[in-house]
Amino acid sequence: MNTVRQPTPIYEISITAIGPLVEEFTEAGVWVFFRDDAPEELAEFALLHHAEAPREPIAAGQVIEIDGQRYAVTGVGDIANKNIRELGHMVLKANGATEPELPGEVCIEARQLPQPSIGTTLRVWKEASEVC
Amino acid sequence: MSEEKKYRKVKIKAGRGGWGGPLIVEPKPGKDLIYSVTGGGIHPIAAKIAELSGGRPFDGFKSKADFEQIAVAVIDCGGTARVGVYPMKKVLTVDIHAARPSGPLMKFITADLFVSAVKEGDIEVVE
Repeated sequence: MNTVRQPTPIYEISITAIGPLVEEFTEAGVWVFFRDDAPEELAEFALLHHAEAPREPIAAGQVIEIDGQRYAVTGVGDIANKNIRELGHMVLKANGATEPELPGEVCIEARQLPQPSIGTTLRVWKEASEVC
Repeated sequence: MSEEKKYRKVKIKAGRGGWGGPLIVEPKPGKDLIYSVTGGGIHPIAAKIAELSGGRPFDGFKSKADFEQIAVAVIDCGGTARVGVYPMKKVLTVDIHAARPSGPLMKFITADLFVSAVKEGDIEVVE
């Protein structure tokens, strides 16, 4: 019997809560994720989730899929993967930068981010061809 | 034996490549938390500030505290989010990383509230 191996994303987040300042951050092209154990003051502007740590580091050249829309990862800061692994904390910036301005950022193509809702999913794929 | 806790004033300056400060941290009764918002427990810099100042190390990811109880917040933020939140609440903030005013909360990050790239050698008792 042939089994088709389904590609699995490196990282998958489902949004469980959205802070009151997220709308403004979205308009500025920034999403800030934290795991749902983050202190309240951080939750104010954050998208919360309880995802497992990524299976491997997030890197330029990968693809982030947000509710079916694809965004190429253009640059990843030096401490971004540590933040993601330890705190579920990812700063996503849609500015197309190949050299992130700040070490905590994951930069993607400069396109408007959608206004998120509870249940919005974000998946990171290693190859563009894996995006289902 | 005194019941009273011994607090000392400490000065924290920016490390190499850092920005802001120096800050004077002076824990007081009811406002003596050295609030580590770094994940993975109390950061060594927070532990050092607590040791020198007599403040209480506190893990912001484990328990809740009011801003009024915080003598200083210690963060390891690359410059977008945590970097601005505590200054916005007028809480003194020490960043382990060499962050500068940036991000959506940039206007709140001022040299009297924020100092970055702090290493153990940048912390000293001043009284």
